[in-house]
Amino acid sequence: MSFEVAEEDGGTLRVTVSGELDITNVDTLASAVAPALARKPPRVVVEVAQLRFADSSAIALWVQWASAVPQIELRDVSPLLRRVVESMGLAETLHVTP
Amino acid sequence: MTDNGPVSGAAGTETEGGEDLGVERPVAAERRRWPHWPAVGVAVVGLIITGVLVALAASTYTSNEKRLLNLRVRDAGALFAEALPGIQTPLASAAALADATGGDVQRFTTFIAPYVKPVGGQYTSVSLWRLGPSGARLLTTVGAPQVLAVTPARAAAFFRSAAKSAQLSVIGLLQGPRPRLGYAFTSPGLTGHFVAYGESALPANRRSKFQSSSPFADLHYALYLGRTQNNADLLVSDLQKLPITAQHASTTISFGNDDFTFVVSAKHPLEGTFAQRLPWVIGILGVLLSLGAAVLTGRLIARRNQAEQLAGSLERIAEENRRLYAQERTIAQTLQHALLPEGLPKIPGVETSARYEAGVEGVEVGGDWYDLIGLDDRRVLLVVGDVSGRGLRAAATMAQLRFAIHAYAAQNDPPAVILSKLSRLVNVNTSGQIATILCALVDVGRHHVTVTSAGHLPPLLVSNGSGTFIHGEVGVPIGVRSGVRYTSTGVDAPPAATLLAFTDGLVERRGETIDTGLQRLEQAAVGQDGDLDELLDRLVTDLRSDGGDDDTAIAGLRWLD
Repeated sequence: MSFEVAEEDGGTLRVTVSGELDITNVDTLASAVAPALARKPPRVVVEVAQLRFADSSAIALWVQWASAVPQIELRDVSPLLRRVVESMGLAETLHVTP
Repeated sequence: MTDNGPVSGAAGTETEGGEDLGVERPVAAERRRWPHWPAVGVAVVGLIITGVLVALAASTYTSNEKRLLNLRVRDAGALFAEALPGIQTPLASAAALADATGGDVQRFTTFIAPYVKPVGGQYTSVSLWRLGPSGARLLTTVGAPQVLAVTPARAAAFFRSAAKSAQLSVIGLLQGPRPRLGYAFTSPGLTGHFVAYGESALPANRRSKFQSSSPFADLHYALYLGRTQNNADLLVSDLQKLPITAQHASTTISFGNDDFTFVVSAKHPLEGTFAQRLPWVIGILGVLLSLGAAVLTGRLIARRNQAEQLAGSLERIAEENRRLYAQERTIAQTLQHALLPEGLPKIPGVETSARYEAGVEGVEVGGDWYDLIGLDDRRVLLVVGDVSGRGLRAAATMAQLRFAIHAYAAQNDPPAVILSKLSRLVNVNTSGQIATILCALVDVGRHHVTVTSAGHLPPLLVSNGSGTFIHGEVGVPIGVRSGVRYTSTGVDAPPAATLLAFTDGLVERRGETIDTGLQRLEQAAVGQDGDLDELLDRLVTDLRSDGGDDDTAIAGLRWLD
């Protein structure tokens, strides 16, 4: 798993994650994003085009982010991940976009 | 704000100190206790070896010096011996001449005069005597007045004894302002015995040095008359202080009826300065090497002790970690099993079964669970849930949810209300956890199933060789929002139908969509004969055979009619 955290003009927090995100490394990502999240960005965009796998802990983290900011978007979601998110009834909560 | 900086910084430092784990202290104590004895042993052995080498080098040096000195004294003695005929021969010839000429003073004087000089000649003076029955009579003297002439009685006695000898006779040292060495040659003649008697003055103070060009300029020497080294018999030496006490060698050279003793010692080491200093060099190097080796040994031992200490500490920490790890795992497993139903309720008309399988890879337990709650004699609530994350916290949240469901079910709350109430208990923002839960309310008698899902995978209904997933409306998982409204979906169950609810560990594999896993489950479930227990065993075994790092809960219910 690797990731980039960028705070863009206009306040959008962009988090790009690739590889496999699961219980073994989800805390690393959580700690890295926490400071930027504490500045209350109006919007978080999670880029997951290169993410091969995400387990329920990863989804729990995104749900946590979703509840912390006014708007969240899960962008470039693979069909696999989309199916997982939909099966958990979280497509709206996480604003999944293709 | 700025005031808080140093305070929080200090607190941080203190925390780090507190996490010391007690490793640093024993190591420091070990470092202070310098390991003496092995190092001292090395030093002692090194010094003993050094001492032996020094002794060997010194004795080799000494014996070589002795050998060289013996060679030199022999050479010098031989050279000296070659010079002696230069003293004896003129005197012998002069005596023979006097004998042949009947004591011709004139011819004697002419012959011997070239050899007589006050300084630097063979003789200081030479005299000719005639021995008769009445005593010795002086015929002539060439050169300086002779010391022996002052004492005619002594001269007569000496000449008489000399006359009996065919060789040079030495009277010895004659004292005077400058001591002289006297010697005589006699020749038996027709008219009596003629004696040629010469005296040679010794150098001033009997001291003289070799010339610097001499091959023996590197030696000190002393020349004695006779075979002993008495000061009184000293003829000449280059040293003021005698006898020679330093290492020396001597040789004896025959001189007429007497002898010379020639003693030499070396001014400088004959083998060279390096040979002389070699024992010192060996000694100093040996001592340094021994001390160096001792220090090195000490350090190595200290290092090893430190390493052993550290390894011991690490081993203790690792052991402690293993113990803590095992402890947490044991606690979590105990909790997990304690939280799962001890037995399933007996419901007339259905058989029930359930399994929980811990994850294979993760040592931590997961947050999956199942439950079967008999509501009354015809209804049963089948629950399967999955708390995100692992370990004690997941198990604790699972316990909270499971007991809450029991409580709400006891109040006769329908599944949608139960889940809605649960959504107030867990908040992802405070716990970091979400939970997916499936509630299937089974009306045994009416063959009806009502499914309510909080983000959970749909249950499978198998009957007559085909399977159907009950896809109802899926609400958000517990923990996402508080007070969520959930919608239930009802389906009728055919006779002898089997309802299976499960967690994602049974179907989810990395790199494939959930639908593939669901299909695999459906095929596996449909193709099985046998009772419900066998079915669940088979499913758990077959579906988790490749993969299965996640834990898995599965609960089943089968109508008997």
